[in-house]
Amino acid sequence: MAITLKELLDAGSDRLSLELLWGEGRLDREIEEKALNRPGLALTGFFQYFAQRRLQVFGLAEFTYLKSLTSEDREARLRAMFDKNVPGVIISRNRNPLPELRILAEEYGTPLFRTTMITSHFINECTVILEELTAPRDRIQGTMLEIMGIGVLLQGQAGIGKSETALSLIGRGYSLVADDVTEVVRTSGRVMAFAHELTRYHMEIRGVGIVHVPSLYGVSAIRRDAMLDLVINLHSYKNDADEERTGIQPGEIEVLGIKFPYYALPVSPGRDMANIVEATALNYKLKLLGHDAAKELDEKIIGRFLRKAVK
Amino acid sequence: MAEHKTISREFEVLNKYGIHARPAALLVKAAGKFSCDISIGRKGAEVSAKSIMGLLTIEGHQGSRLIVRAAGHDAEEALLEIAALFENKFFEE
Repeated sequence: MAITLKELLDAGSDRLSLELLWGEGRLDREIEEKALNRPGLALTGFFQYFAQRRLQVFGLAEFTYLKSLTSEDREARLRAMFDKNVPGVIISRNRNPLPELRILAEEYGTPLFRTTMITSHFINECTVILEELTAPRDRIQGTMLEIMGIGVLLQGQAGIGKSETALSLIGRGYSLVADDVTEVVRTSGRVMAFAHELTRYHMEIRGVGIVHVPSLYGVSAIRRDAMLDLVINLHSYKNDADEERTGIQPGEIEVLGIKFPYYALPVSPGRDMANIVEATALNYKLKLLGHDAAKELDEKIIGRFLRKAVK
Repeated sequence: MAEHKTISREFEVLNKYGIHARPAALLVKAAGKFSCDISIGRKGAEVSAKSIMGLLTIEGHQGSRLIVRAAGHDAEEALLEIAALFENKFFEE
């Protein structure tokens, strides 16, 4: 997913104290490679390998080196870099741009930025922001809850009772993240779930309408976001459904390319779904703590049967 | 409702690990497809074939012999399906 310089500037103006020195009209340019490069080696004239699709960061080393050159050499070396059509140039440590840098940026139509941060901190922070901006994201159907530290996405067709189940779980002290529509974003191998900021902390209960959860149940009833741990699908009970009976090998479902345990829970009269969802989440937590009840019982049974087996 | 006579058959547990959780789940799923009452018994103890926890308690280790009883209009089909599980060693070996 490509992002534009404008998006980076918007996201980074506070966190990176990033300002635009030149290039207002060229901010729609895309950053093709979401990483940063220090062009030190290129400035010496070495272009056999040059990360030209990345933003170029000029730190103390680049400045000191350029200043050691004559004005003509400086111009020529910088021109060679601009010739590669780099997406943008960033000056760290709040330095004033060298005149040649400024003139060439305008000549090539390459936006020029400046940050007050020192180079290494800037590169770290800017890489994080680039990752965030380009992280795979999606909007999926389902109600997101946090149950004792376990992020649970409740799915199921309209009218099956997702919101009602969520409401019962809120009543038991767990927290709502998003009702019915959940935004997900992949960050460093995990999936973070949150609500669209417009409808955040609201939910719709059939027959009641839209309610504001923290006003009714207090701030402990909500969470801004939660990491996804498991997906539960509520479905109407069918006797031939291929449902999990032992829990030794739960199903799996992919969200943004990452696999999560998937439990299909049949809904039928007399089954308190909030209770069952809670048990599923707590049982999963127990597994995370290294205690897999189903597996342990099975191993105990197999051990006994092997001793008793008729040879 | 018409009375159905109970039919029964004896099976030997052939798979090495016996009727542990996975075979028990297969039996429950197979039995659940039929409306007839099905029970599985061993040494006088008899449990419903539609109960996982029940099946685990009959301790059906390899070499043990279990009596399966079915009563209902689809009892014949149910026994055939259950027989296939035993004969195929619950697809474990």
